[in-house]
Amino acid sequence: MLPALIALHVAVAVVLPPLAVRLGPRVFLVAAVPLLATAGWALLQLPGILDGRPATASVPWAPELGLVLDFRLDALALTMVALISGIGSLIFVYAAWYFSASERALGRLAAMMVLFSASMLGVVVTDNLLALYVFWELTTVCSFVLIGHSDHRENSRRAAIQALITTAGFGLLMLIGFLLLGQAAGTYRISELVADPPTGPLVPLAVVLVLAGAFAKSAQVPLHYWLPAAMVAPTPVSAYLHAATMVKGGVYLVARLAPGFADTGPWLPLVLSFGLATMVVGAWRAMRQDDGKLLLAYGTVSQLGFLTVLAGAGTPISGIAVVAMLLAHGFFKSTLFLAVGVIDHQVGTRTMSRLSGVGRRMPVLATAAAVAAGSMAGLPPLLGFVAKEADFEVYLPGHHPALSVAGSSAVLLVLALGSVLTFGYSARLWWGSFTTKAEVAERRYPSAGPAFLAPVVLLAAACLLPGLAPSLVDPLAQAHAATMPHAAAPDYHLALWHGFSLPLLLSVAVTAAGLVLFANRERFYRLQSAAPRWPDAEVAYHLFVHAVYSTALGVTRRLQTGSLPLYLTVILGTLLVVPGGWFVWSLASSGLHVPMSGGDWRLWDTPVQLVLALVVGVSAIAAVREERRFPALLLLGATGFGMCGIFVVHGAPDLALTLILVETLTMIILIFVLRRLPARFASGARRVGWPRRLTAVVCALAGIFVAGVLAASTYARSLPPASVGYWEEAEHAGSANLVNLILADFRAMDTIGEITVLVTAAVAVASLVVANRRTGGENGGDEGNGAAKPVMARNEPVIGREGHETSTGGGHGSG
Amino acid sequence: MNTLTVAGSLAAPPFQPPDIDYGLLLPMLVVFTAGVLAVLVEAFAPREVRRSFQVGLSLLAVGAAFGLTLVQAASPQLPETGGILVAGGTVAVDRPTLFLQAVILLLSFVSLLLIAERRVGDGSFAAEAAAVPGSEEERQGILAGREHSEVYPLVLFAVLGMLLFPAANDLLTMFIALEVLSMPLYLLCGLARRRRLLSQEAAVKYFLLGAFSSAFFLFGIAMIYGYAGSVRLSAIADAAAAAGGGEVLLLLGIALIAVGLLFKIGAVPFHNWKPDVYQGAPTPITAFMASVTLVSAFGAMLRVFYVAFGAMAWDWRPMIWVVAILTMVVGAVVAVTQTNVKRLLAYSSVVHAGFILTALAATSAQGLGASLFYLAVYGFSTIGAFAIVTLVRDSQGEAVRLDQWRGLARRSPLLALSFALFLLGFAGIPLTSGFIAKFAVFEAALAAGGTPLVVVGVLSSAVTAFFYARIIVVMFFTGADEPAEEPGSGAAVAESAHAQEAAGGVSVRTRPAPAVTEAAPQVEVVKPGLLSQAVIAIGAAATLVLGVVPQPVLDLATQAAQHLFVR
Repeated sequence: MLPALIALHVAVAVVLPPLAVRLGPRVFLVAAVPLLATAGWALLQLPGILDGRPATASVPWAPELGLVLDFRLDALALTMVALISGIGSLIFVYAAWYFSASERALGRLAAMMVLFSASMLGVVVTDNLLALYVFWELTTVCSFVLIGHSDHRENSRRAAIQALITTAGFGLLMLIGFLLLGQAAGTYRISELVADPPTGPLVPLAVVLVLAGAFAKSAQVPLHYWLPAAMVAPTPVSAYLHAATMVKGGVYLVARLAPGFADTGPWLPLVLSFGLATMVVGAWRAMRQDDGKLLLAYGTVSQLGFLTVLAGAGTPISGIAVVAMLLAHGFFKSTLFLAVGVIDHQVGTRTMSRLSGVGRRMPVLATAAAVAAGSMAGLPPLLGFVAKEADFEVYLPGHHPALSVAGSSAVLLVLALGSVLTFGYSARLWWGSFTTKAEVAERRYPSAGPAFLAPVVLLAAACLLPGLAPSLVDPLAQAHAATMPHAAAPDYHLALWHGFSLPLLLSVAVTAAGLVLFANRERFYRLQSAAPRWPDAEVAYHLFVHAVYSTALGVTRRLQTGSLPLYLTVILGTLLVVPGGWFVWSLASSGLHVPMSGGDWRLWDTPVQLVLALVVGVSAIAAVREERRFPALLLLGATGFGMCGIFVVHGAPDLALTLILVETLTMIILIFVLRRLPARFASGARRVGWPRRLTAVVCALAGIFVAGVLAASTYARSLPPASVGYWEEAEHAGSANLVNLILADFRAMDTIGEITVLVTAAVAVASLVVANRRTGGENGGDEGNGAAKPVMARNEPVIGREGHETSTGGGHGSG
Repeated sequence: MNTLTVAGSLAAPPFQPPDIDYGLLLPMLVVFTAGVLAVLVEAFAPREVRRSFQVGLSLLAVGAAFGLTLVQAASPQLPETGGILVAGGTVAVDRPTLFLQAVILLLSFVSLLLIAERRVGDGSFAAEAAAVPGSEEERQGILAGREHSEVYPLVLFAVLGMLLFPAANDLLTMFIALEVLSMPLYLLCGLARRRRLLSQEAAVKYFLLGAFSSAFFLFGIAMIYGYAGSVRLSAIADAAAAAGGGEVLLLLGIALIAVGLLFKIGAVPFHNWKPDVYQGAPTPITAFMASVTLVSAFGAMLRVFYVAFGAMAWDWRPMIWVVAILTMVVGAVVAVTQTNVKRLLAYSSVVHAGFILTALAATSAQGLGASLFYLAVYGFSTIGAFAIVTLVRDSQGEAVRLDQWRGLARRSPLLALSFALFLLGFAGIPLTSGFIAKFAVFEAALAAGGTPLVVVGVLSSAVTAFFYARIIVVMFFTGADEPAEEPGSGAAVAESAHAQEAAGGVSVRTRPAPAVTEAAPQVEVVKPGLLSQAVIAIGAAATLVLGVVPQPVLDLATQAAQHLFVR
């Protein structure tokens, strides 16, 4: 059923864009249908899940790769489904009245939100790490599109990219972590992994990588910068993705893996340090915000830190606390987001210093927001209070097996400090948004309709009801706690009243301190302004992006010049470094026989060889230095003829003859080409100075390498030469010249074939030359710019153009 | 080849003609015959009917060869666990090869559709390739509505070489296949209708660099022959396994042969030709090279390294590791700054070559299967992406600067959506074929102990995903009228440098690409013809379907790879 529900989301998403044209913003009501269906179905599964029997399903996707879509709906997943589908459908209803009919790309917006809902559902119900990663990245992509909804605005696009790079980039680290975990355990099924956690040297590393991905998604300090920036998205999107669901993905993952991996070395230090830092930093910055939505965003950052601390504990009580807190946060934060959205929608601003009298004009909204803010601040009898009681319980000294009394107390202290700040910004938000301020002029605006307010009120009710009757939530929390190891833990239930206990004391102290803080808020703001700014990872993000760009630019400039000599230098250089280096090394380490090392080595057979070698060498160097084309060609020819001389001296006149033929032909052909080129190499066409010397050195070394390898390989002979038998055969055949014999007798058929090929090629070349003479060349434009004109036709007289079809009527260019 | 090795054998046995099973060579023979026929058509058929004749002939030949390949794969003649050696043991017919050949033929068919498209900007190929760019003669040819139809026989010969390349069972046959496939490509690169100087420069560069790498390949063969006394892959493997001294020669040979092959697949540091050539070549030919050539070259590389050098894996694996890491890192980093869509796709192809190399280094059946799947998947997406490149045009031809693609989604949402799909596929986003493919190669590399490779691969995927996302943003989230905000001007630098630099001492020089300096001309999205539509649709369908239901093709690839190459 679960895959079918996800498919239903996708199917609905496909039909939304065309529907949006007709229905306008009411299309969100249609969009809510799959969410409601999911919520309803999940509710039906509740009894089984409370009994510890999760609903499961399995779809093979690519089983050979371990990609099997296993689905599993247990208590934790059900909690998340309540947020995704339950709160989600209310937000969709709200969106149907939030957007105006003139809103651009409504269809895309609605479709993306439903797709997001589907992917988020996938994240929480899948039982396979790889599938989780897939859904995880799908939520990132949806979030990217949704943040960038107002794509005509620059900051909107920038925020979208920033969120994408941060979460997807760290998501890739997480994927590496998943792969390491899967390799270590031999399975990618989460339930099996958690039940039987793998061990090995790589597992701590894997845990760190997975946590990195989770922290980025859940906006933990110092990666939190993307979340406030993402508030450029429309309010329903912010409420849904960046408060209720997506950002909880990281918390969910931590909570999901905690039962198996909370004991792994780096887990607890990381979770506690990052979570607590996030809680305090987020709350601290929330206190400074004047924009209601930004305040909520930083508040979300803070709460996500809090949730991470809870989810990471991995004890049964933390299981209870995390379920309660996930629900509580989902309810109060979405209520507040929607309330701020209503204000923004009606009044036209959500900047608190410009708002006055909103509470008087919209009392229902003010009440709902008050309930939610109270829940956020942790006041009884709201769900937030019940949850916070449980939260403190988790880190009471002695309740966490891995923490000393001092450690627990420290954690508890920081939690309390964060809670005080939370109280402070909760009060600030409500006070700033709804009270009547004498110094601010009230605006005129229409009040909100009942349908627009209904979701806000319903969500506020959800903050209140489970607070009054914690037994509504308790069974679910207990069912999740039962999955934790060390299940024989103190019997704890969610309740308003646990007697006079330390958590209650803490709550009272937090409330009192919060009131003091709020009363002295002006002084606190001054303190904040005086305090140095926290270092921000956003700087690191920009530095990273900038560094990537500048490195890339530098590399591109150096490597990708389009210069053929440079490309060749790179290839030859690689050749010299890798096989060349290895060749030299094996010669040096006598892995290879050094040619002529046996003392039979002499400088030359006859001094003529020296002369010829000098001719070859000198003309080669001169050819490189020559600036004019024809002389360069002649010098090149000189090296060839020098080689012929060496063959002659070696007693192979026939070979020399062949080479002379080849050299002559090559020169003639090249002269044909050179006739059409300027007399000199264009300035700039050749490299000068050091690049040219480098080229020369590399080429020389490449030549030496090839010669050396050939010499070495002749000396490394282990089999008799192939020519041995030919000698006897040659005597039979009555000839003393082996080469001639092979060409003309033994392999005569081959020779015929080769000659045929040669003749064909020669005919083709000749016909090309002849055809070109008949059509004639023509001169194009700018003589002055020798560089701009390619190979063809320069100073070429028009010989004739009779009859050739390609130039009929063909005028010639400038003469 | 004739192996008259040691004397004594010269006189004694009478000449034995090799027993050639023409049935098994039929796919190649069909393509070859069609190529020869196409040359005759070019020579004798009247100009008006040539093109339609050529298109029909090539599509028919490639399609028939594909059908024959399927028949072979299904035939009982092919042993379940191995393969057959044909033509005196020079050509191997086994399951991985048949898979590769089927993919090559399928991709060639799709490429041919794109090559045959004439609705878009009156075709992609020069009217008079021999005429000086900008000359009166060229203008006449364009006015007469001509287009070189020699393209089709050239493509057919290239396809023949590509079919033979991964099937070659000895190094000499492989070299011949390499040349047969390369020569037509060198020529085809220079046949662009627009921006002909760039195209000719690309052809010269490709030719010169290609000739060099072929020379290294040949030199490597000589070394290997010196070591093993044979060019037959299985004999080399036996000699290496017997391992009696002189291994310096073998390793040198492996390195040199690797240079030739790595050049063809465009791995760093032998990748430099790719962006320049991909940019200059006519876009349908670029699509053809980027997909089919890559498949073929990787096929050959896989065969050489699995069969001939399989026993030496410990010796060459470090080299492939280094090359793979360099390829993934350099390709991704340089790609970030590209502002030219074709160059960007070229770098993307470099990075993808790196990804496949990670599976090559695994030397396992799993790695082979993953590579096969990757190659098939990548080919389809690439052709589709290049097909879209042909449609976005200005008065100069294709509008390839990234800022000309602003707001493409507004003007033609379907096209932008398809391109986004291809990009997401390249980035390896889930539910596209790219994800499954990337996953498969990384999984294979992991299983073979290549964790560092996978880590580098994943990180370089992140970088590439970044620049793919940037294009999507440009297409979807910016208007055509907005000012430029692209940070990377590096490609513009590289591009003009690329255009300015001469090709060696020969003064093949081009003007800096005019589009860079002049005011942006009106960009329009041409309505795709039926053929382009088909190409894009096939590409998009493959990208999506293989991402959502990868199982059938993945099964095929895995089964084909199960028993590795025949020895």
